[in-house]
Amino acid sequence: MSSLTTNDVPVRPGTQLEPRWRSSRHARRLLTLGLAGLFVATVARRPEFAGLAAPALLLLAVSGPGRVQRRPPRVTVRARPSSRRGFEDEVMALDVSIEGQEDCRVEWTLRPGREIAPVGPTVAEGPEFRFTFTPERWGRRDLGTLDVTLRDRWRLAEGHASLTLPRIDCYPAPASQRTRVVLRRLPNRLGEHPVRVPGDGLEFSGVREYVPGDRQRSINWPASTRRGRLQVNTFAAERSQDVVLLADATSDVGEPGNSALDLALRGAGAAARAYLEARDRVGAITYQWGGASWLAPGMGRRQVYRIIDSMLTAETGGWTSGASFRRLPRAALPPGALVVVFSPLLDQRFVETLRDMRERGFIMLVIDVLNAEPPSRPFSRQRAADSVARKVWRMEQEAIRFSLRELGIPVVHWDGVESLDLPLAPHTRRPMGVRR
Amino acid sequence: MNGITVRIGAALLGAGCVAWSAAPLVSGGWAGLALFVAIFCVVAGALRLALIAVPVPEDSFLLPGPVRFFLRVLWVLRQVPWEEGAVVAIVWLEVLHSSRSWHTALLGAALIAYLLATHLAESGSPARVLRPQTRVLAAGTVLLALGAGAGMLPAVAPGAGSALLRVLAAGALIAAAGLVLPWVTRGEDQG
Repeated sequence: MSSLTTNDVPVRPGTQLEPRWRSSRHARRLLTLGLAGLFVATVARRPEFAGLAAPALLLLAVSGPGRVQRRPPRVTVRARPSSRRGFEDEVMALDVSIEGQEDCRVEWTLRPGREIAPVGPTVAEGPEFRFTFTPERWGRRDLGTLDVTLRDRWRLAEGHASLTLPRIDCYPAPASQRTRVVLRRLPNRLGEHPVRVPGDGLEFSGVREYVPGDRQRSINWPASTRRGRLQVNTFAAERSQDVVLLADATSDVGEPGNSALDLALRGAGAAARAYLEARDRVGAITYQWGGASWLAPGMGRRQVYRIIDSMLTAETGGWTSGASFRRLPRAALPPGALVVVFSPLLDQRFVETLRDMRERGFIMLVIDVLNAEPPSRPFSRQRAADSVARKVWRMEQEAIRFSLRELGIPVVHWDGVESLDLPLAPHTRRPMGVRR
Repeated sequence: MNGITVRIGAALLGAGCVAWSAAPLVSGGWAGLALFVAIFCVVAGALRLALIAVPVPEDSFLLPGPVRFFLRVLWVLRQVPWEEGAVVAIVWLEVLHSSRSWHTALLGAALIAYLLATHLAESGSPARVLRPQTRVLAAGTVLLALGAGAGMLPAVAPGAGSALLRVLAAGALIAAAGLVLPWVTRGEDQG
């Protein structure tokens, strides 16, 4: 029998916790009442105060250790998330259960970690419960802690224990992209993009005269009848391409959740899905301060997760130091690959790197994910120089984009809300060529 | 009973206990201070119950001043044992009066009800969680009545010895109840 459940989450044997037992607030209040009554009865010699203390002391005496119920010294707690991987705003579940609590009532309190938002209640009772939560932002997130409170039947003693919950990998919610940018010259590798070269694809290319060796099923009978000689249909060959997604992680500007890095990762996720569905080989390079992490192009559905993993953690693939990509191996940046860049274009060294790559012959497409401007001062402290500085900054940004376009690198702006197909439309209608 | 009803009930019971123990107001013996402490503690305890569901943000940096002040007040409200203070002050107010056994017995019953209502309100539990304690509470009520009765007994002879004797009698009652308790709780253990 497999020890794995759905979503590849292993069934853990559980964590043994030793609750710290102490009297509850209710018990302390009863004790105060009992002691105050007895004290007054003794000092003031008024027996009615002994009667006043009697109910509280009786309750405490009856629930004393070993009288009504044994307090378990240790319990076994299981906490299992429905999946170790999820996307932003995806509702996930955390199943918790306990064993060895005997007759004690169990109360669970979920204390979610940062960027983890509970969907349902965070406090629950019972030996088993399912909490629901959603990760609000991508990244490797701590789920938080789970507090377990055991209460005896009379709620006069409480046992407290805490369990650190596992981490989950939260992937950025991918944007929408259906169309693809296709290069005009593709490597001679079987794929799904029709090219001008005749081959065995599905797309009709033209008609030519029959030569011995052609298959009979490809004979175009209407054309043969008109011309008086046998004509056969020709089809376009279908090839695949190498796509490298280049994410600029040096500048994270904008509102959290909608920043440049958020948009870069969401766009890269969408592009990875779109190209992998067309059986292209897709790789990723994440440009950071001091170097770049990379993942060699690959195929298949799992490559999407590898790409996002490499962007989030840089644990898969490789690492190269330095601002230039000259040291990147050919496996990471194959010649002739389409490089799709997601960047706010704020780092001058990154822009220089793009220029360098263009001069080395790479075909690139820059998706500009800058949707923020420098923050302005409060209205009362604004100066005339502020607006001038803002204008200069905008002109600098326009100049950077203009210089890239002049080099033959198309730059399109994406706001993160609309589908990526819209800004990419001018480049997806026809194969993208190399402008020498 | 929903949570709001129980919270209101706890606050009213606390207020009733204060009024019951303070009336008629006596002078001397720090009665004014005891009354102030009792009222303050009951009000603060009621506020704590009213704000029990207010969440505290984990990240309390860079919060506005009023919010930080409110969080500080909330922290104090949740940390200080207001009910214990109220109980001590109420008992103190009752001691300042001359012996009135049935009055004290009723106060004891009201105090127990106040503490139980506070417990239900802060734990959000239904009243049925107290069902296993009904036998013990009944036995406690009987002891309460016996204590009050013992307080009403005329002293055999005036002096400290007879009063001490009555206290010992009340203590003996409690001890006897403790011996009976295993029999009382046997049914609960089996259930």
